[in-house]
Amino acid sequence: MPSVVRSASPRQNGITKLTNCRLVRGDALVWEDVWISSATGKIIRSQSAFYDELIMPDEVINLGGRIVSPGFIECQLNGAYGFNFSTATADTAQYGKQLRELNKKLAQTGVTSYIPTVTSQTSDLYKKVLPYLGPSGSSRARHDGAESLGAHVEGPFLNPTKNGVHNTSVLRVASSISDLEEMYGAANITPPESQASQDGTSSSPSRLTGITNDIPIKMITAAPELGAMTALIPALAARGIIVSIGHSEATYEEASAAVAAGATMITHLFNAMRPLHHRNPGIFGVLGVADSQGQQDSPTQVSQRPYFGLIADGIHLHPATVKIAWHAHPAGLVLVTDAMHMVGLPDGRYPWTNGEGEHFIVKKGSVLELEGTGTIAGRYVQCLVTFSIKITPGSFVLASLALKASYPSSHPPG
Amino acid sequence: MRFFIRDNAAAASAHVADYIADRINHFGPTPAHPFVLGLPTGSTPLGVYKNLVEKYKAGEVSFENVVTFNMDEYIGIPRDHPESYHSFMWKHFFSHVNIHPSNVNILNGNAPNLEAECVEYEAKIQAAGGIDLFLAGMGEDGHIAFNEPGSSLASRTRVKTLAYGTILANSRFFGDDLDKVPKMALTVGVQTVLEAREVVVIALGARKALALQRCVEQGVNHMWTLSALHLHPHSMIVCDEDATLELQVKTVKYFKDIEQVARAQGFEQILPSKVRTGPATVPTTITLLRRTTPNPEQQSLPRAKSPLQNPVMRAGIKA
Repeated sequence: MPSVVRSASPRQNGITKLTNCRLVRGDALVWEDVWISSATGKIIRSQSAFYDELIMPDEVINLGGRIVSPGFIECQLNGAYGFNFSTATADTAQYGKQLRELNKKLAQTGVTSYIPTVTSQTSDLYKKVLPYLGPSGSSRARHDGAESLGAHVEGPFLNPTKNGVHNTSVLRVASSISDLEEMYGAANITPPESQASQDGTSSSPSRLTGITNDIPIKMITAAPELGAMTALIPALAARGIIVSIGHSEATYEEASAAVAAGATMITHLFNAMRPLHHRNPGIFGVLGVADSQGQQDSPTQVSQRPYFGLIADGIHLHPATVKIAWHAHPAGLVLVTDAMHMVGLPDGRYPWTNGEGEHFIVKKGSVLELEGTGTIAGRYVQCLVTFSIKITPGSFVLASLALKASYPSSHPPG
Repeated sequence: MRFFIRDNAAAASAHVADYIADRINHFGPTPAHPFVLGLPTGSTPLGVYKNLVEKYKAGEVSFENVVTFNMDEYIGIPRDHPESYHSFMWKHFFSHVNIHPSNVNILNGNAPNLEAECVEYEAKIQAAGGIDLFLAGMGEDGHIAFNEPGSSLASRTRVKTLAYGTILANSRFFGDDLDKVPKMALTVGVQTVLEAREVVVIALGARKALALQRCVEQGVNHMWTLSALHLHPHSMIVCDEDATLELQVKTVKYFKDIEQVARAQGFEQILPSKVRTGPATVPTTITLLRRTTPNPEQQSLPRAKSPLQNPVMRAGIKA
């Protein structure tokens, strides 16, 4: 356990020093102390504080060689601590209460921001839960815990042949924006001003800058080969929504077209999509576009390679597969857990619904299986970082835009 | 001069760190009677700092009542520049131990009036009661602090232009770009170092061998400023085997022998107790001296003197 040593300084300045710890610097882990001000909650420049303010930390915490990392951003989380984002309660106020409790608990795992993911559901459910799952806003009060960056709707515009554990009977095909508005509720996907002007094709770079609208949905996983989905991507991107290719039979050409249209992410790469074939590399193939093309041509002509989520838990993907993807596009790798609401609960058999009848998911150790099918439904979060660090030390973890939910202190990487 | 030769750099660094820790512990510093430590920068003392930090973490030494004065600082680079000596000290020593920032003194290379900064620095050392132990490294040209060859042996804290060789040696810290290396520095003078009650020098590696030979075997020479240590009553040099390459076998054997003999006799080559405990705790005889003697210069051995009061320095000034 970390030992806490009071410094001899009589003045209380609220500075805590973390020592005997490692920090992420570029592509290396370096041994360095961190000074944090409890007044501002910020990391302070220790050297300036020492020489200018003549202060020493009130408290020194010895971390025993652990890694200090920025808060994890979880891009694919279905629920935790028994609360499933995709399960509406009869009393909607109860949903909000459970969500706030989850936020507090989630922060203890190291996740400071997350994108609550709602699987393929009926329109009713989306309309009920999405208003709760939007961005937490700018308050960021410490006691609120982790913040939502906006909802991720993983479906229902998915390919029925790549449904995973999603219920095929709720899957739909979209031919226009109004199909999406109808499914999710217009207020959840279209900002009020756009609804008025019907301006669905605005070219403003809102994805990066203009988070002025407050629609709950910030990410959509869809199969671009179905219906008019590829054609709808620019309109979604213009709303500041990240379009992610997933649960899809898309060929290389279809995936490339989706990326060119503005899709910037791939949902759990390799899982729920066609495997790589040497004659048609499918969705994975879009990572093979050489970087140099983007440099030679103007950025507007060649779309950037998308980010891609990976469930690097040793079950969903072989370690060698993870490495291949990582080497294909290191800067694009986003580790995700795809964790379900059984995270944080003891082993057992838990009820779960994908909108069609009652199913059970069996949690045994870190693996979650849909009962009677052998289909992997998700994985307990905590083992993931250890695994990732073991297969490729250092940079693999550092380049990840979102790391795993929890760093297991009992398994310090070699 | 005491001279200790150790098998390698690690052993030499450990010897110096052990010695400093022992001196601090024996001194028994208090807030009213702190141990005043002079400190160098550079690659040579890194091992000493590492050992001192380890000893602090092991609870073998505390810097709570230690006041430090650093030897030098560059002029014209920001204080928090990674190569500044403020940054060096923070990174390698101060951030790891329990020294209080108000007890830390480093020359300000960005002071509006550099000359005034130097005068004030000398006054601060005086106000702290003088330096109990000045740790130093040595340049390849035998310089101590930034007192380059030819510096006055009576010099005090001042602005100094760096020698070409020093700039060249430092360029490795500035991307091998000579234009980026500071050309000027503030440094304590040779006399400032000599006024410390004890001076401990560490010299490591074959590149220091020639300078070490000049400073150990030859006389006082302003072209090898560290040789001025011969004028100090309590100086000590610790080196590794590589640094002895230019010394005569006779010299090396002599110093190794007397260290062994002294240890066999149970008489370590230690300082007089007055120096070991500092002036404030020296027993009543000194207090009596203070009452009866109007001139404080007579009360103890190596009190700081101005150059005019030092016979050797006075001779130098006449010439």
